[in-house]
Amino acid sequence: MLKATNLHAGYGGSDVLKGISLEVPEGSCVALVGANGAGKTTLARTLSGLLVPRKGQILFKGKEISGLPASRIARKGLCLCPEGRHVFAPLSVEENLLLGAFPRLPSIGPFRRKASADLEKIYDMFPILQQRRSQQAGSLSGGEQQMLAIGRVLMARPGLVILDEPSMGLAPLVLKEVFEAIVTLRKSGMTILLSEQFARNALSVTDSAYIMEQGTVVLEGPSADLAKNPAVAEAYLG
Amino acid sequence: MNPEILAYTQMAVSGALMGLAYALVAYGFQLTFAAGKAVNFGQGELVMLGAFVGLTLTGIGIPYWLSIAGAMAVGTGLGWFVERSAVRLALKQHNEGWILLTIIIGLFAVSAAENIWGREDKPYPVPWQDGSIDFYGISVTWPEITIAAGALGAMILIEIAKRCTMFGIAVQAVSADPDAAELCGIRSTSATSLSWAVSGAAAAFAGTIIGPVTTVGPTMAAALTLKAFSVAVVAGLDSAIGLVFTGIFLGTVENLSGFLLGSGWRETPGLILLILALALRPQGIFGKKIIRKV
Ligand SMILES: Nc1ncnc2c1ncn2[C@@H]1O[C@H](COP(=O)(O)OP(=O)(O)OP(=O)(O)O)[C@@H](O)[C@H]1O
Ligand SMILES: [Mg+2]
Repeated sequence: MLKATNLHAGYGGSDVLKGISLEVPEGSCVALVGANGAGKTTLARTLSGLLVPRKGQILFKGKEISGLPASRIARKGLCLCPEGRHVFAPLSVEENLLLGAFPRLPSIGPFRRKASADLEKIYDMFPILQQRRSQQAGSLSGGEQQMLAIGRVLMARPGLVILDEPSMGLAPLVLKEVFEAIVTLRKSGMTILLSEQFARNALSVTDSAYIMEQGTVVLEGPSADLAKNPAVAEAYLG
Repeated sequence: MNPEILAYTQMAVSGALMGLAYALVAYGFQLTFAAGKAVNFGQGELVMLGAFVGLTLTGIGIPYWLSIAGAMAVGTGLGWFVERSAVRLALKQHNEGWILLTIIIGLFAVSAAENIWGREDKPYPVPWQDGSIDFYGISVTWPEITIAAGALGAMILIEIAKRCTMFGIAVQAVSADPDAAELCGIRSTSATSLSWAVSGAAAAFAGTIIGPVTTVGPTMAAALTLKAFSVAVVAGLDSAIGLVFTGIFLGTVENLSGFLLGSGWRETPGLILLILALALRPQGIFGKKIIRKV
């Protein structure tokens, strides 16, 4: 479904990604594991169009997408839930969710009604969001904001969703809830690319994984195998 | 009532109503700043062009109401054009060149207006030019009522559109976090263009309601830019209510000082207000936000 070949990308002078190739087959759940600064976020931004690659190819559903604006790529169904949540702080929780479905909703008119079935699903998955639906997103706790960011990206009914470090800064209980949501999504057949710094949770919920170091892929394979690999265990299982 | 007090009150009321027009022009600054972190320093020039276009249309026999629509159409196009042709380029390069570029476009607009319509001030006749309503001896003319109703109505309408349509919510999203908005499938550059177009339409509309009260001429542009800018600096760039109160305040003070000190002093309060605001808020209105963006 998503296939990147020999990607080079970066900021300013030097490349952060130095020839990354990866593939996310339809219906699979793939982990991207790497330490601080390995380039996971840079890769996520490049795949979603926020950063234009300097070299290489990105195919989504068989079509080249590199160089397209991020909004076009999102409309094609490749959606990123960005690192650090990036909820729209001054807007309400429900408005944030509605914005996730923006391309599908009428610009003027009964957009709330049109989105109500999707809203319902998100509220079932994260009941706390329903309680806070008219609250400003900026006033939510970190964990609630992460749930909102995931809810927002799901409102787009994505073909493939990239989750960039959804566990960042979360308390264990919230972390559990977020990972349960990922397992539910995976069971529903959604294609997922999950970027994580710590491999234990990521490898346990994914089919296969890529291990990144300094802008390159150093290991790849089925998640279960990588979890048993002593080198991975030492570096990323902590 | 004491005739002297009555005269002052009359002046204050007329000034306050005109102040609402300043608020509307300043509101145009807020609109573009929210979406793209830039403003049009030729906003007063757009007001002037709107007034001239409206005036020309009524001159060829088109009814006042339709002349407003025509002026707004031109304002929409011009607002959009300024953003596309100049501002976007400067912002893409993360510099403040848009300040100079919008000033230059404004200067160009003034000389174009002088060439097309001449330098003299012209009356902008409206069907209810001479009507007025009296409240306890204070008379308010219909054109003044049109300013108040039009300016408040336009701001309320745009505020409703911002909150209650998906378009408006999307523009707010772009203003809060352009990258995240892109990830939601919202083209942030289109949202910025839309804001500039609406801001241009609001400025042109302001011209068609101010013109009947003040007359129309190329010199109105710079004065209006200055006043609207003072109002925006004092009220800040995020509260429409603040603009309304500051606009009313400036309009009142300006009319009273013109009345008390002579008409040459009319423009002084706007300038003093601006200097005070800049002195009390040395980071200016955009200082902080631009630095954060770059
Ligand atoms: N906006 C930026 N401008 C310049 N350099 C950047 C920028 N963002 C990231 N970098 C650099 O790119 C490298 C990779 O960063 P990236 O955020 O992609 O890593 P990461 O794997 O996501 O790390 P983390 O686990 O901390 O999120 C780092 O060396 C970082 O300093
Ligand atoms: Mg990261």
